[in-house]
Amino acid sequence: MSETAAVAFEDVWFSYDGTNILEGVSFDIRPGRFAALIGPNGAGKTTALRLLLGSMRPTRGRVRLFGAPPGNQDEVIGYIPQRITVPRGFPLTVREVVLMGRYGRIGLGRRPRPRDHEVALQALERVGLRHLGNSPFGTLSGGQQQRVLIARALAGEPHLLLLDEPTAGLDPAARSDFYNLCCTLQRESPLTLLAASHDIEAVAHHADLVILINHTVLAAGSPHDVLHSPVLQDAYRFPERHHEPHHAHQGAAL
Amino acid sequence: MTDWLAYDFAQRALVAGVLVALMCAVLAFFVVLRRMAFVGAGISHAALGGVALGLVTGVSPLVAAMAFSIAVAWSIGWISERGRITEETAIGILFPTTMALGIAIISLSATYRQDLMAYLFGSMLAVRRTDLWLLFGLAGGTLAVLALFFKELVFISIDPDAARAAKVPVTALRYLLLTVLAATIVASIKLVGVVLVSALLVIPAATGQVSARSMTGMLVISIISALIAVVAGLWLSWITNLPSGATIVLLASALFFAAFVASVHSSAPR
Repeated sequence: MSETAAVAFEDVWFSYDGTNILEGVSFDIRPGRFAALIGPNGAGKTTALRLLLGSMRPTRGRVRLFGAPPGNQDEVIGYIPQRITVPRGFPLTVREVVLMGRYGRIGLGRRPRPRDHEVALQALERVGLRHLGNSPFGTLSGGQQQRVLIARALAGEPHLLLLDEPTAGLDPAARSDFYNLCCTLQRESPLTLLAASHDIEAVAHHADLVILINHTVLAAGSPHDVLHSPVLQDAYRFPERHHEPHHAHQGAAL
Repeated sequence: MTDWLAYDFAQRALVAGVLVALMCAVLAFFVVLRRMAFVGAGISHAALGGVALGLVTGVSPLVAAMAFSIAVAWSIGWISERGRITEETAIGILFPTTMALGIAIISLSATYRQDLMAYLFGSMLAVRRTDLWLLFGLAGGTLAVLALFFKELVFISIDPDAARAAKVPVTALRYLLLTVLAATIVASIKLVGVVLVSALLVIPAATGQVSARSMTGMLVISIISALIAVVAGLWLSWITNLPSGATIVLLASALFFAAFVASVHSSAPR
């Protein structure tokens, strides 16, 4: 019997205001992989993630998380957005943000137990920010805030992490740190990652599976294969001079 | 100073005031966190339409206002979720339309014209014994909902997508918050008035925000400042013969500016 995919899109269509955002998208991701969903702005990456989160439903086709419709799976899903917006000066501490990652496990209307606080602190420790636990979240740098959001996701002890443009707005060093941390976490635990990003170079350098979409799946496979695929240039409409071998532009964001 | 409490109506106003202060202060926390100040203003002004319909149809004005306000609150939520216009635009349309409906209906009848001022700006004479029972029910329900789902409401306010991933029922809780917002506004109408109640849904929490370093501290200061503003505001209304809504809101604002100046002073470089 084949292993159930952590993420499965089966001929998924999604339309908004009469415009097709996704057209017959099909792919699946096996558990334990680090997949990158890449494509130009407006390609449908965030829509795909929202379908997985259950905040939108496909117009046609099926989306499955560990074999079940989003929201009905037994496995825990963690989500790391580009950023969260807390009103300026709102006294929300880093520990309180991380503890939110436990809420799915604590249950509706129940109070956090000592173990939940302990797991939240351990998650902060893993991202190297335990010393900032009592700091207001809004006073942290962009890179630190992203680490806190990783800690929040980890506190839920997830089976799958969904990341939506997680490094947008970060400098190259912080971007690299972020993905290195993701890789380390994936090695340490049986975690599946799906990162949507238009930052091809950074994400493809760390992922072991790349899915290129532009409303529909244009290519899927190893980072090397997809980055050397002729369809990449069409998807991003690169000028010819940018269509170079992968190793020639490592470290640069395309 | 306490002679005013010898009167039945003043005692009723004080009990109602404490309940209103508790409800508004706790709910204001979420109004500030979710930047819903305009939503609160919209629903409170819409409540006047419900009051007017209640007066002319013989239904209890507060019960009619409750049904009307919840309908408007849910409409705002529904439109902002699915509509082709923004939440602000939806409120900008519903707010004056429903208020205009209320003013038109009340103005058509000379009998109710006197009531209009009380509903607009509040009056400590207006709280009846039967209103108190309704208030106890609304305050109990509202505070229970906010206490029970406090952590989830904070989560969906800050990151609804992550909350949804954690299987928190985001949409249901959002509508529940809009419902208790409508209930709180209706509970506050007689004492504070539809025009000024929206201030009580922001100012106490803002006072807490500039003074506290934690969410719990913010909540406690919000409650204390609202209680001070309401109790002292009722007393001020008694001795000055001003509408209670005006005195309560002026005191709440004074507390905010004092806290704001203190916070600026304490964070200034030495």
